[in-house]
Amino acid sequence: MTTAVRNAPLWWTLGVAETRLIVRNRAVLLTAAVMPLAMGLLLSQADSALLAGSGGALAATQLAFVQMFGVFFTVTMTLASRRQQRHLQRLRTSPASTTSIVTGLAAPAVAIALVQMLILFALVSLRTGTAPERPDLLAAAFALGAVLNTALGFLTASFTKNPEAAQFTVLPGMLALMAGGLWVLLRSPAEITPVHLLVPGGAITDLVRTGWDGTAGRGLTETTVLPVVFALAVSAAACAVAAKCFRWQPRA
Amino acid sequence: MNRTSTEPGPAASAAGLDPSEAALDVLDLTCRYGSFTAVDGVSFTVAPGELFALLGTNGAGKTTTVETLQGLRRPASGQVSVLGRDPWRHRREQAGAVASIGQETGFAEDLTVAETLRLWTDLHRLAPAGGTAELLERVGLSHRSGTRVAALSGGERRRLDLALAISTGPRVLFADEPTTGLDPTSRRRTWAILREIAANGTAVLFTTHYLDEAAELADHVAIMDRGRIARFGTVEEIAASHGALITARVDEAVTALDLPALDGETRCDAGELRVRTHELQADLHRLLTWADWRRVTLHGLKAAPATLDEIFAELEHEKDHR
Repeated sequence: MTTAVRNAPLWWTLGVAETRLIVRNRAVLLTAAVMPLAMGLLLSQADSALLAGSGGALAATQLAFVQMFGVFFTVTMTLASRRQQRHLQRLRTSPASTTSIVTGLAAPAVAIALVQMLILFALVSLRTGTAPERPDLLAAAFALGAVLNTALGFLTASFTKNPEAAQFTVLPGMLALMAGGLWVLLRSPAEITPVHLLVPGGAITDLVRTGWDGTAGRGLTETTVLPVVFALAVSAAACAVAAKCFRWQPRA
Repeated sequence: MNRTSTEPGPAASAAGLDPSEAALDVLDLTCRYGSFTAVDGVSFTVAPGELFALLGTNGAGKTTTVETLQGLRRPASGQVSVLGRDPWRHRREQAGAVASIGQETGFAEDLTVAETLRLWTDLHRLAPAGGTAELLERVGLSHRSGTRVAALSGGERRRLDLALAISTGPRVLFADEPTTGLDPTSRRRTWAILREIAANGTAVLFTTHYLDEAAELADHVAIMDRGRIARFGTVEEIAASHGALITARVDEAVTALDLPALDGETRCDAGELRVRTHELQADLHRLLTWADWRRVTLHGLKAAPATLDEIFAELEHEKDHR
């Protein structure tokens, strides 16, 4: 009666469906696509003295905000509302794994954030008259940031009862992300220690700054390996806790 | 504990399934919520191609039994197996081969009917023969194919739920009150689909409050009461074990003492005559001979095998007078 077929990975299938849902819901589309971009534009108009004048600091701030609102907040909201609609409960009866479900629901938000990021990085370049020294590190920073923000969204959704509550439950995560970013930006690259990198957002910010401004003679371990390892470790820890605590059914 | 095994229908054998292997096997299942025992030593098997009805009032333990079989809860003791495996451990691997219906919710509201169905089959990496259009035709939703789920009525959502369940060609289908809230046409359509997939070898376990539904569909019926199986068999067997009922109205002066010796249990209060008997023909003959001889008119005389309704009412009566 039915035949098995090979098609796209399950997270991709879920991501395509999720993209349709975002495009069809004007309110969601507005918050996901327009708001982070508008914020970024405002930020890029800010006095460059405020942002230490360097392209790297501005780029790092842009990426942090775009991913915080576009990925972290969106993933938390999406998971909370899909749970409330019992859509997650139904997906759990399909062969899709936890990873596929979370990745699939986050994928469109990450894609939108990528486009916004490219626009905003171009603006940073125009505004500061600099170009990224190490685009490869910038790309790594974006990918790791997307993973970290998705993981934090998954974790936050595990203690978020409904989409309305997400407005408050994201605050600790946002504070941590901003604190981590700011802490790193207030130090020169040479002063960064593993403790700075352990605060969520710290490692990503460090990577973006290095990616834009260059390594300035520092070693591979310091500039790349440590931030990557710490960003992944924080993401993995967030996912492990979330996977344990996450409720797939709404509370009665 | 009533251990019962059942023969698969001819269709199951025709579909080439091993009739010796039960699709569902429940042995001495007990489930507790804290100190409350919701299911108390229940055993039954369901063969491939069989339609099995779980009946019972609210709180009888039907839903808990089904949830355990769906792998959603762990039994306190006893064993359940679905297609030969522990559903608690193997729920994910069996997704698709084991399907459930009974939910109106859980759809992505802004997807269309066709997209919802397509997403489901894609997640199972399946391409239904005849495509999604044919599936929608079967459940009577083809005209709603391009409509967003948010705009569907409750009954249409139930039919979409059914379409998703059958789209994966399941070998076991759990149906929790499959026709509650449906209009008569949808109800009959749902029955036809359940019969059809059972004829193709799918084991169908459904719960219902509707006795006519059980009588209409089920090969075997288990009536649950306070966590136990109170009655089990085909509808005919259950009815036969309960005895037939003769009712009539007679002159109020007639009492049970005036009646002939009958095999069945006889009551006659205020002109309402009731005989519950396992010897319908003999007792009816005796009663008619007596009436003829005594010139008693039996108004509105009725003789019929017991209905599930009566058996249900009797269980309720026992419960209230415990």
